[in-house]
Amino acid sequence: MRDFRRKRSVLSALCLLVITSFVLIACSAPPPAAAPPPTTASAGAATAPAESTTASAQANGPFVLLDWAGFELPEYYPTFTEKHPDVAPEYAFFAEDPEGFAKAASGFQFDLVHPCISYWELYVSEGLIQPIDTSRLKNWSGVSEKLAAYGMIDGKQYFVPYDWGFESIIYRTDKVKTPPTSWADLWNPEYKGHLSMYDSGEAAHIITALALGFDPWNTTPEQDEQIKQKLLELKPNLLNYWSDSTEVSQLLASGDAWVIASAWNDAYVTAKNEGVPAEYITPKEGRVGFLCGYAISSKTKNLDLAYDYLDALLEPEAIAAMGNTNGYGISNIKAIPLVDPELVAAMDMDKPEILESTQFYRPLDDAQREQFTSMWSEIKAAP
Amino acid sequence: MENRSRITILMLPPALWLVLLFIVPLGIMAVFSFREGSFGAEREQFTLENYQHFFANRSYLNLLGTSAWIAFQTALIAVVLSYPLAYFLSFRAGEARVTLLTILIVPAWTSFLLRILSWKLILGSGGVLNTFLLSLGVIQEASPLLIYSRAAVVVTLVYVWIPFATLPIFSALERIDRRLLEAAADLGCPPWEAFLRVTLPLSLPGVIAAFFFVFIPTLGEWVTPALVGGAQGIMYGNLIQDQFVRALNWPLGAIMSLVLMALVLVILIIFNRFIRISDLAGA
Repeated sequence: MRDFRRKRSVLSALCLLVITSFVLIACSAPPPAAAPPPTTASAGAATAPAESTTASAQANGPFVLLDWAGFELPEYYPTFTEKHPDVAPEYAFFAEDPEGFAKAASGFQFDLVHPCISYWELYVSEGLIQPIDTSRLKNWSGVSEKLAAYGMIDGKQYFVPYDWGFESIIYRTDKVKTPPTSWADLWNPEYKGHLSMYDSGEAAHIITALALGFDPWNTTPEQDEQIKQKLLELKPNLLNYWSDSTEVSQLLASGDAWVIASAWNDAYVTAKNEGVPAEYITPKEGRVGFLCGYAISSKTKNLDLAYDYLDALLEPEAIAAMGNTNGYGISNIKAIPLVDPELVAAMDMDKPEILESTQFYRPLDDAQREQFTSMWSEIKAAP
Repeated sequence: MENRSRITILMLPPALWLVLLFIVPLGIMAVFSFREGSFGAEREQFTLENYQHFFANRSYLNLLGTSAWIAFQTALIAVVLSYPLAYFLSFRAGEARVTLLTILIVPAWTSFLLRILSWKLILGSGGVLNTFLLSLGVIQEASPLLIYSRAAVVVTLVYVWIPFATLPIFSALERIDRRLLEAAADLGCPPWEAFLRVTLPLSLPGVIAAFFFVFIPTLGEWVTPALVGGAQGIMYGNLIQDQFVRALNWPLGAIMSLVLMALVLVILIIFNRFIRISDLAGA
């Protein structure tokens, strides 16, 4: 009898342990990013109060931004707050562009959205956003013409470019005997097992096309096949796929990776600050550039607020503050003198020839997006 | 009669839970696998093209095979390592068993991610193992391949699963009537033979349960390979995650998930011919 009771208590203790462990495992696993619930920050939205000073702009329901985390800081839009002290913007965050697009496309109500260039055309073709009347933005004159041109789709300005950056090759100067000078050098057998690539089919397509001397955005089906074969040949060199800048810094600092492709310049700044011997190159085919910007929802009820917010973002002091905090390039050229000179140097903002040779990502259509992602799945699945 | 209605009331919440959060989503996924795309007009079109694409592309199924192999290795090693542990706890630990079991489980209370990331410190280029091998002169140069490889995935997962593989084996061993072993000894059976002919066969349901406890979740695993697998250690689960998060190809992701489920189902049916699944629950 005693024995039986002891067994019972052991077993119930066991059950408890198992259950607790499973609950803890479930809780600690990262949340699936596929379809997260709409997380709106900064509650207490403004419902058009009577004492609103400007007659033109009143909040009709919450003023919602679909944005990346880190762009919600009040110092990025002080003139908006001055003009509309009673309007508290709400933020719904996404961690990757496809996630933000999925949210917008499945009916999430937003007023402004901040995707990066590859997804711009998809927002237009799904009818999610409306053209922007740039004459309503007093700071528009400062926006780089080269960058503004990317925001034109079907002859209309749909996007206000805001932040940009480079993607290039970073390498450990103490580990690599022959430094890479072009995208084609990624295939150098010397880097066997020490190359880390950005986990993106689009990035892989672009740098391989550049390495082969193709125009990345106008490849023929034969060239696409060559690109795929070439990428399969890269596998022996491949250590892993990285997915964020922190990972790049860790891979570089630990010495696991000697050469990292498509690394953003903030990873280089981090490496320099940590004293890791590394160099950021300009491949002879040019660097790759990313560009992100804001667009207004086609269903917004807060059009005037949206324009005021956009103008506030472009305000030189405000956009310079964003650049200094995040380490990104800024679209308003007039604000460059206000940016930390170290950042200007790190981003080569003072060297227009680098920006000129940079191959910026382009808006993808549905077919291209599908082609790149399915090619990438096949490459990753291949042994 | 009253007993029956009480059971119905008790069963209702879990049944609802399962239907709403398991059966219905499965149905939605099955529908999605026939859709032409994830959004807009494509969402309204139904097609078999996704299935054609999936089965025409051998690399997807090959990766599923590789993942099954990784899961098999992980489950086998975890069971082999767990058995002596469970045996010791059940037959030798005596009154200390609850304490020892708790100690075994305690690591599982820390974050799953933390436990996986800590393997980077052990296996990485500047990690404990590389430094040790370098100082012994076994290797000339630190190798990141100790971490970014299929072997690293297996090692990490075995570590994660050992406590959970131990439990079903332990409870199977606990159920063995000790008098059977006494009888075997009385009849002149040496201990090792008593183990092989009495203890091991009687604990087999626990062993099989432990194997599937590890094998099934490992087959769909994606966090561990994403963190320590590198390019060579990619698993099928990573591909599924890619379809939903990055590629926005929900139909293909749905097909991949359904194929994975089908594989698990087939394996369970085959095993069911040899050992009844209900036995595994300890009925």
